[in-house]
Amino acid sequence: MINTIKEAQEKLRNGEVSPGEVASGFLSKIKERNKETNALLSVFDKVTREIEETNKDLPLYGSVFAIKDNILVEGRRCTAGSKLLEHYTAPFDATVIKKIKEKGGVIIGKANMDEFAMGSSTENSAFGVTRNPHDPERVPGGSSGGCAAALAAEMCNAGLGTDTGGSIRQPSAFCGVVGFKPTYGTVSRHGAISMASSFDQVGPLANCVEDAQLIFDSIRGKDEKDSVTSELLRKEKKEKIKVGIPKECFVEGIDSGIKEALEEAIEKIKKEEGIEVVDISIPSIKYALPAYEIIMASEVSANMARFDGIRYGLEFERPAAKDLKEAYLINRGEGFGKEAKRRIILGTYALSAGYYDAYYIKAQKVRSVISEEFRKASSDVDVIFTPTTPTLPFKIGEKITDPLAMHLSDIFTVTANLAGLPAISLPCGEREGLPVGAQLLARRFQEENLFEAAKRFEAIWRK
Amino acid sequence: MINKKEIEKLAFLARLRLDDEERNNVPKELESILQYIQKLGDIDTEDVDPLFHFPELKNIVRKDEIREVERKMQKRMMRMGKDKDDYLKVEFTL
Repeated sequence: MINTIKEAQEKLRNGEVSPGEVASGFLSKIKERNKETNALLSVFDKVTREIEETNKDLPLYGSVFAIKDNILVEGRRCTAGSKLLEHYTAPFDATVIKKIKEKGGVIIGKANMDEFAMGSSTENSAFGVTRNPHDPERVPGGSSGGCAAALAAEMCNAGLGTDTGGSIRQPSAFCGVVGFKPTYGTVSRHGAISMASSFDQVGPLANCVEDAQLIFDSIRGKDEKDSVTSELLRKEKKEKIKVGIPKECFVEGIDSGIKEALEEAIEKIKKEEGIEVVDISIPSIKYALPAYEIIMASEVSANMARFDGIRYGLEFERPAAKDLKEAYLINRGEGFGKEAKRRIILGTYALSAGYYDAYYIKAQKVRSVISEEFRKASSDVDVIFTPTTPTLPFKIGEKITDPLAMHLSDIFTVTANLAGLPAISLPCGEREGLPVGAQLLARRFQEENLFEAAKRFEAIWRK
Repeated sequence: MINKKEIEKLAFLARLRLDDEERNNVPKELESILQYIQKLGDIDTEDVDPLFHFPELKNIVRKDEIREVERKMQKRMMRMGKDKDDYLKVEFTL
């Protein structure tokens, strides 16, 4: 199945298909598969007219988006997968949505997610579990699981998600699509609901690398409403692609099936002209997930403070409070799900007096070490190749009662967030009829080299 | 490592009311994560500075000035709460 933006664009431009046919193609898939997969929480009905009214020369003409439900689309409900925002309507467009609309993209619906982007399976949504279109007994990954599932089920040809520790890349690997987390600071987060602000990035999910790049080019850039955005992009002209493989990623914590599939994928690229594969070492990579856990939980506990049940409205039945303090306790206690509560408590603990240096500062120092090791290891290569996930898509319910097992799903993805690197996951093979993803990382702001390598590998792995 | 009483105190500080099941389970659930985090004790960070931000990024600042909010956005925001004569009605907070 190839269902790309480029394809839709060409066919629409030369009149081979009409806007109505494009729209009804996706809408009929939604009708057929959304009940089972629960990928989309809301579906918009004006897609045909919106494509008809779009200038055909715009770069995103023909793109039909599923937007993760933590990104604000004016006048539409934006729940972030939480009961606390069940009736919240976005008063404005996020910067990325504004850009998508200006560049000719249309939006078909809002996609399910783990509550406030906390999770790796889309089981933590207040609005039900999302199922993997490849096998409905299995999770689609998370937290952008709704977007990835919607793409895999052909309900759209583009997606926009957020990635704090792997939330775009991990579900993309589980659903067999392409997911890209840009360099920290390249894409505005204004209008995206924050989770952990020193990690969060908005990025595309797509059916091919070229589409992911097209979306990235359309949404990136400086924004005065996100104080750490930049226009910077670096490109180095290269004759050959040099790929570094950190040996630490293939020794422990990885399933044998994934390992085999990745080794096959590596063999295939090794055979090609102009690609050189070398071993590299990032010895401290095993400390990435524990450091991430602390920093992420700390930032979560601060960011979630705004959800008090007052500011953004709250409309579910709950006991009456006798004073303001009790109102907060009740609103937040009843409003947040289990995983969000655990992370808020852990973050509150890590930031407490007496623990702050031992946990938070220590983790930020480890972050320095890892970032430096990545810089050194990548100074001699163009891209770094790792698994995206340590396992195949797991069964629904399999890990939900064991938070550590669930968090280990992100073991290979969190490093890019710690070091602010651009990272892409793309399908590289299959095991047991389920997709396997490969992750490529580059130095900060070197997205162009990353896309170039990813397009080359994609062509090889699709053969 | 972290007992029920401490969890209850942290939950109170974070303004989260836990139910009985959560009071029982959260300490156990956090235990494995806290144990996992202890791994960080094995890495030497003696002369390392914490990484709070990336060197390529500079803060963008803008003037602290009052800007008109679009009428359309105002209306949308009003719809979030109970609208009363152009005021937003929220819960009693004093």
